[in-house]
Amino acid sequence: MRFIKDKINTLLVFLPSLILVGYFVYASIGWNAIVSLSDWKGLRPSYNIVGLSQYAYLSHDPVFWTSLENNLLLISLFVPGSLFLGLFLAILLDAKVRAENTFRTIYLLPFALSFVITAALWAWMYNPSIGVINTLFEKIGLGFLKSGWTTDSSIAMYSVILALIWQFSGYTMLVFLAGIRSIPESQIMAARVDGASSLNLYKRIVIPQLKFSALAAFVVLMVFALKAFDFIFILTGGGPGYSTYVLPLMMYRETFSMTHFAYGAAIATLLFVIVMMVVVPYLYMSSRRGKE
Amino acid sequence: MFPKPERIILYILLSFFMFISVLPLWTCIMTSLKTMKDVIYTMPVQPPPSPTLEPMREAFDIMKRPLLNSFAFTLFATIFSCILGSINGYILTKIRFRGSEIVFLLLAIGIFIPYQTVLIPLVMTMSSLGLYNRIEGLILTHTAYGIPICTLLFRNFYEDIPDSLIRAAKTDGAGTWTIYRRIILPLSSPMFAVAGVFQFTSIWNDFLFGLVLARGTEALPASVALANLKGTTTAFWNVQMAGAWWYALPVVIIYLILGKYLIRGYMAGAVKG
Repeated sequence: MRFIKDKINTLLVFLPSLILVGYFVYASIGWNAIVSLSDWKGLRPSYNIVGLSQYAYLSHDPVFWTSLENNLLLISLFVPGSLFLGLFLAILLDAKVRAENTFRTIYLLPFALSFVITAALWAWMYNPSIGVINTLFEKIGLGFLKSGWTTDSSIAMYSVILALIWQFSGYTMLVFLAGIRSIPESQIMAARVDGASSLNLYKRIVIPQLKFSALAAFVVLMVFALKAFDFIFILTGGGPGYSTYVLPLMMYRETFSMTHFAYGAAIATLLFVIVMMVVVPYLYMSSRRGKE
Repeated sequence: MFPKPERIILYILLSFFMFISVLPLWTCIMTSLKTMKDVIYTMPVQPPPSPTLEPMREAFDIMKRPLLNSFAFTLFATIFSCILGSINGYILTKIRFRGSEIVFLLLAIGIFIPYQTVLIPLVMTMSSLGLYNRIEGLILTHTAYGIPICTLLFRNFYEDIPDSLIRAAKTDGAGTWTIYRRIILPLSSPMFAVAGVFQFTSIWNDFLFGLVLARGTEALPASVALANLKGTTTAFWNVQMAGAWWYALPVVIIYLILGKYLIRGYMAGAVKG
């Protein structure tokens, strides 16, 4: 009797979370998918199902391809850029540095800040006429490097990527540093006794053992590269033209600026599928690894 | 570890990266202390020749209400999501039931979903509940989407509490909730600090939910107010930077004082964005 009462009590306190996540995550994903199959345009909801026509439009929309390309650019430059810079910083900090804590605290600080703040800071950095970077270049005699960082459509996306690497490499440093510190001291000592140089020590002993740190950071960065919105929305708003559009930004514009709800929902569904292709294998792998 | 000249290069490199990390923040503070004339006639990195607190005051007048709004919903959503996360973590590790692994996996997926996928249903739901433009709506939203990460944090923590402790209490006739209150909860304070600090900073830093759920002044979050400020004061970089500084302040204070808890949150596979 007491046992059953216990079971019911357990279910009762578990229920609010299950309902909230069930509704706001899973039911909402389903709802969004249904909207993507409808012809809902304008402020009045319409659930008139027209099939996959929104997706067909998408495949002919040049803005969609530009956005997807920019997401892929983030994946191919921002992800490895942050990983390598973070690994580099971690290796530097591992060299018995004085005031290691101060360096670490400062490197990680940008990551703790909201994208709204960092985007405002970088808008000022990149300002073409009186901004930080261009005035600095002029001062040190490198005036020819002055550029329209966010106003020139051919380099705007690279400016976005550079700023994001600035914000995220403190995080990857943290992950790698923790990975390095978890390698048993005895292994490092043994390699030293065998006469391994610092370079060889990292190449042979340390870096190979950082695979799981690298994988965790990689997944976090990949997911971010696909979900990036706030920073780009505030720094460039997707411009100039469509040069810094990414899928989440396109979804927001189509849905909330132009009220193409069905179309926005189709972009969102596609985005969800792409993100899950990264996340599900990772969760599956790490849950199997946990069991071993 | 390194011979001498290499150590000099090491510190040069470390200082160079420190300079890069700090440069945007430094110019932000310097610019926020300048008059508009100084903003135009001095370099952004230079300290202000005639320091003024006027931009700070002006930005505060605009940001005051949004900062209070953000503080209100961030605090409540942090408390609710941490409590729910702790209970879920306990049930998933110490009670268990058939399918609890699957339930956990389904919860964990919630950490990673791109929020764009739920934006349309979310706005529809909040308007039909009468919670659009309301602090309560933001509390509900941030609580719901905070449950997955809080559950993960507490579950990983509770996994290390030995089951024998629970079994012993059970033999003594303690029920599920007595065990939670008497054994689990008193051991949880470090994790409440980690999850609390993590949730507070992520909810405080959020922009997307505020953008689509709160347009009016009643519930306008500081993040959206700052983005608006950037739009309305285009050339007034000093006011913009002062606004950024006000909005950053609580997170910077938390980071400097409770940084070690925040770092544990980041390390637990936490995600930003």
